[in-house]
Amino acid sequence: MSELFASPFFGIALSVAAFWVGVRIQKRTGLVLCNPLLIAIVLVSAVLLLLRIPYEDYNAGGAVINMFLAPATACLAVSIYTKLPLLRENWLPILVGCAVGSLTSMGSVWGLCRLFRLDEAMTASLMPKSVTTPIAIGIAGSHGGIQAVTVVAVILTGILGSILAPVLIKLFRVEDPVEAGLAIGACSHAVGTSKALELGETEGAMSGLAIGVCGILTVLLSLALM
Amino acid sequence: MNIIYQIAIIFSICWVGQIIESLLPFPFPASVAAMVLLFTLLCLRAVRVDHIREKSDFLLGNMAFFFIPAGVSIINYFDVLRSALLPLLVICLVTTVLTFAATAYSVRLTRYLMDRRKKQ
Repeated sequence: MSELFASPFFGIALSVAAFWVGVRIQKRTGLVLCNPLLIAIVLVSAVLLLLRIPYEDYNAGGAVINMFLAPATACLAVSIYTKLPLLRENWLPILVGCAVGSLTSMGSVWGLCRLFRLDEAMTASLMPKSVTTPIAIGIAGSHGGIQAVTVVAVILTGILGSILAPVLIKLFRVEDPVEAGLAIGACSHAVGTSKALELGETEGAMSGLAIGVCGILTVLLSLALM
Repeated sequence: MNIIYQIAIIFSICWVGQIIESLLPFPFPASVAAMVLLFTLLCLRAVRVDHIREKSDFLLGNMAFFFIPAGVSIINYFDVLRSALLPLLVICLVTTVLTFAATAYSVRLTRYLMDRRKKQ
């Protein structure tokens, strides 16, 4: 029986079922905290832990789903391209916003790490946590960070960003879709962008753009500062 | 266009993205390289949005779903979490809020300054 859990169909079916439950709960309650992605992650983790199914077994299907992340990220180019006039008009604000955002992220992580008296390795692991996973682990690795910590921090940040995005938009009165999209992408990379796409076309395009621009700027900043 | 050709176009671009990643001397994700490449091809009109519309709508429309396995992988790192859960959560929360506000307001300020200069 247990080897059947190692079938890719199991992991995919479980993920879809968990996401479906998440979407239903979100629709029923309308609560921001009932984020379908968060609910799905909690449900799948609970099933694996309760039935003692190893992560590797689930990941036979998980890896198939994970493979779609790269094409999905690539297709953000389509949403950016359809907003080309907006990009031409706003290239300077986009650049300034992403630079300030990347600096704020790295600066505030550094400050908080000092406050919590975390060591050098921990600080290096957390510094790049607001950019997309492959860039973040690359930076952390080349500065003596622990990559597992970086992965956890990047994912936590992304989930937080996608849950909080609607709240932050109201709290800071960011009604403009260009400002909102760039802010979401800068603080919570691709996971936040999945939420931005739900908010609107312009939000999605700007958030996707911020993933790339902030990613590149963070690599440059890490070379200069760390 | 037939969905199978759409998949072929997008996956080929992703593969070239991986080639670019392996050639670059610094860490740069294949997915972002593929995004830049696809954007360039669209601008050059070598690929048109119509060529990949259904597939790209499918991928973008279900983006949150594709992050489930990455999120579940956190259960492999319980030892990391146990040792520093509180600082980790506080750091993630505070920096996310700060980065959001800093980005949004600096975009707003830059656009305001540009508008003012245009009017003068």
